Amino acid sequence: MDGFGVSLAFWVLAAITLVAAAGVMVSRNLLHAVLFLILTFVGVAGFFVLLSADFIAMAQVIIYVGAIAVLVLFAVLLTPRASRDNGETRWALPGMLLAVCLAAIFLFVIHDTAWKTRDGVPQGLSASDLGTALLTTWVVPFEIASVLLTAALVGAIMLTRSPEEEAEDALA
Amino acid sequence: MTPFLVSDKWYDIRDLGNLSRALLDAADKVLPGGVVYVLAALIGFVASFLLFVLPSQLIIGVYGERRIIGRMQSRLGPNRVGPFGLLQPIADAIKLIQKEALTPAQADRVVMYIAPIIFVMPAVLLWAVIPFGENMVIADIPVSLMYFLAVSALPVIATFMAGWSSNNKYSLFGAMRIVSMAISYESPLVLALLGAVVMSGTISLSGMVAWADQYTIWMVFVQPLALVIYFICVSAELNRTPVDIAEAESEIVAGYLTEYSGMKWGLFYGMDIGYALAASGFAATVFLGGWTLFGLEKWVPGWMIFIGKTHLFYFLFIWTRGTLPRLRADQLMAFAWKFLLPLGVFNLLIVSTERMLWAEQDYAKGLIYVFALVNIVLSVGLVYAWARFNGYRPERSPTRPRLVKQAGGYIPVGERP
Amino acid sequence: MTGIIKSEPFVINIGPQHPSTHGVFRIKATVDGEKVIDAEMVMGYLHRSMEKLAEERTYTQNIPFTDRTDYLSSMSNNLGYCLAVEKLAGIEVPPRGNAIRVIMAELQRLASHCMAVGAFANDTGAWQTPVMWAFREREKILDIFEVTSGARLTCNYMRIGGVAFDLRPEFEPMVRRILRDFPPFIDEMEGLLSENEIFIARTRGIGVLTPEMAINSSLSGPMLRGSGIAWDIRKADPYCGYEQYDFDIPIGYNGDSYDRFIVRLEEMRQSLKIIEQALDGLPGGPFRTEVPLALRPPKGEAYARIESPRGELGYYLVSDEGPSPYRFHIRPPSFINLSALKEMTVGGTVADAIVVLGSIDIVVGEIDR
Repeated sequence: MDGFGVSLAFWVLAAITLVAAAGVMVSRNLLHAVLFLILTFVGVAGFFVLLSADFIAMAQVIIYVGAIAVLVLFAVLLTPRASRDNGETRWALPGMLLAVCLAAIFLFVIHDTAWKTRDGVPQGLSASDLGTALLTTWVVPFEIASVLLTAALVGAIMLTRSPEEEAEDALA
Repeated sequence: MTPFLVSDKWYDIRDLGNLSRALLDAADKVLPGGVVYVLAALIGFVASFLLFVLPSQLIIGVYGERRIIGRMQSRLGPNRVGPFGLLQPIADAIKLIQKEALTPAQADRVVMYIAPIIFVMPAVLLWAVIPFGENMVIADIPVSLMYFLAVSALPVIATFMAGWSSNNKYSLFGAMRIVSMAISYESPLVLALLGAVVMSGTISLSGMVAWADQYTIWMVFVQPLALVIYFICVSAELNRTPVDIAEAESEIVAGYLTEYSGMKWGLFYGMDIGYALAASGFAATVFLGGWTLFGLEKWVPGWMIFIGKTHLFYFLFIWTRGTLPRLRADQLMAFAWKFLLPLGVFNLLIVSTERMLWAEQDYAKGLIYVFALVNIVLSVGLVYAWARFNGYRPERSPTRPRLVKQAGGYIPVGERP
Repeated sequence: MTGIIKSEPFVINIGPQHPSTHGVFRIKATVDGEKVIDAEMVMGYLHRSMEKLAEERTYTQNIPFTDRTDYLSSMSNNLGYCLAVEKLAGIEVPPRGNAIRVIMAELQRLASHCMAVGAFANDTGAWQTPVMWAFREREKILDIFEVTSGARLTCNYMRIGGVAFDLRPEFEPMVRRILRDFPPFIDEMEGLLSENEIFIARTRGIGVLTPEMAINSSLSGPMLRGSGIAWDIRKADPYCGYEQYDFDIPIGYNGDSYDRFIVRLEEMRQSLKIIEQALDGLPGGPFRTEVPLALRPPKGEAYARIESPRGELGYYLVSDEGPSPYRFHIRPPSFINLSALKEMTVGGTVADAIVVLGSIDIVVGEIDR
């Protein structure tokens, strides 16, 4: 990864992503937190672009921003007390404890890993390679993931049926 | 990549990239340091404004749409401002800029401010990957199609932000509807585009144009069902009638746009058209063959052909907007999930089979025409069969009421009046 | 495992400033998600106390008031009022006056149904194309009104004992042109909307009104006929010589909004038939019997009703031998027709409520008087 532009892009993206992630934690309004989360997703997509994994970058935006963020927004919309202050919670102290433990684990792992660096442009992953891999080498996990998603979909529909619809179904 | 018959000369207007490159190289020798980048930006701005923004977005988009819809409604459109009313969009823009943009006191100011900005993004970002001519694509990334899908996820977020931050029940209503509708229509959109991807074997838009040129057939003939599904789904993403429940004027008074006025509303409105044009350009590239026209691009500049195709597709948008009434929200979603999604899956099955057969024949050129014919017939049959399977019977002739001569009492259905 | 995810109902106001409530009219709808669970009507935004004001004016001076109650069918309103006064005072109208009255009332029915059909299509979202076409035809009828009576909308044309002015020589060619141009327009509307799947999906099965409900709520007009009940005051209780004309009453099948729409379209066709017959057999002679300026009808009461484009429009007059009526009451069809609104909208969505309101075809001037 050489070149002035690439380094600048990396630092700018890193700054945006980290600030947005901090914003998710810090903001008191729930909707603002979700919007910062979306910005974090976009920043991560930018990192994928820097690594020449363009397919994954686009998939990141489509899936995370286009579907998962929308899902979170819907959840925020349907929550009755979504406009309450996001900061008040009884779990502040245990949360901080957990965060410190996790940070310790991460720091030790990062310190002890032997990071290999490579010069030159990273080898990108083209869509056709990814597709071939998914459908030949890794086809079983792929299919299992599909079945899992379908089960989740059906389960969500079953959970949200109103009583009339259930009665209708029982009669039919 | 197959070589296109476009020369390398700088005066060849079929490929304006050559001209700009020659100009910038000459300027680089004269100007100091990196000033040439400024010149490049300036040239890009002027060229894009003259070539694309002015004819496409202003004239055809704002002015043309209102004029054409006016004629469809047997009235004149705007024809006062300037010759034939051509300065109407400029007059609209000036009016909107000088208007006071009210924000309600309880609304979330920051989010309300950002929402139109995010809404503008797709219309602007999308033009970066669409090839206008031979070398005239700003960013030739190998996954342009997915870029389109990625960028089309942004207006959903923007409309939700707009609806929520306005602190208004109507806006929230609109926001809810638009979000649920947009995600319902994203799945058939992906499936329709996937059909095109499977047939041409590439995700990049330049690759699609190259495929169309190599086999001298447009994708629309091979995949008519994909184009129809794409058209409906993109109408839904763009909030145009017949699927414009988000800003259904006659129901919830502009929905998520209720509290917007001034240039913020102007941005929403303008980008409605801008994004529609970008989506038309995208469809022209993927389905209608891009800037090639069966070899005509040797004489006519490719970007003219491309602009013509874009506007043709945009006319379809205008046409449906002026004609059709609007579906209810739950009917829309039922339509997307129960009708369009299975059709997309069937389409994918058919096209995958055909691609496999085609690959075994070593991509013979004649076979693709056979596939086109078969696909057209199959698409019509599939839509018909699936509609009947869903329990839909079309009205053969208009229903007329029963006529009676004598005033009497209640005449039940089935009895002779 | 149901009922875990619930959204809370909230109240939204449809109106009074709303592009689709056909005037200043408010529905307080309690909405749960998209479903309407309660609808309450709030009216009175346009109350101008016409009934009280009429007690200060003479019978002839009250005719312009009736123009302004249902401002979309002013000729019919005038007609009803004049019929009531004539019944009260025992005045005979000459045959030419009757024939002119019939032609004007049917032309008014055409104009009002144009507006109703266009606005209904607009409510379903057809984005003003049918409205513009309907208004194009309506303009031709309003031109006729202007030629005859001097005003397009609030005509003030009927007088007690006949009509105000005789027909001008331009009248007949203009009406003949309408008789020629209107059927293609109705066919055009039918072709655009009646077979349109989106329109059918929006209106079929929406706002179903059972015949029992219709009769129990004393509805009238296309609402009643849409539910399959053959009741038209022009046939059941004829006035102005309607018994000599040959026409049919269209009735619907299920009582939903689609049936009301096609009933209105067909009524336009029947009106054209009546106009043609009346115009062909237009008798000569006087067009008005002379009545004194300050008419003093004998003591008593009278109720006269006509079939206005919206339903049964009735006028109830009580006289105490003075120059002005003692009591003047209008039975507005829109007001009575609205009593079924709650039945029809509860259980549907907000969009359906708008479509149902469009199919009832209200005019707020009539509701609030």
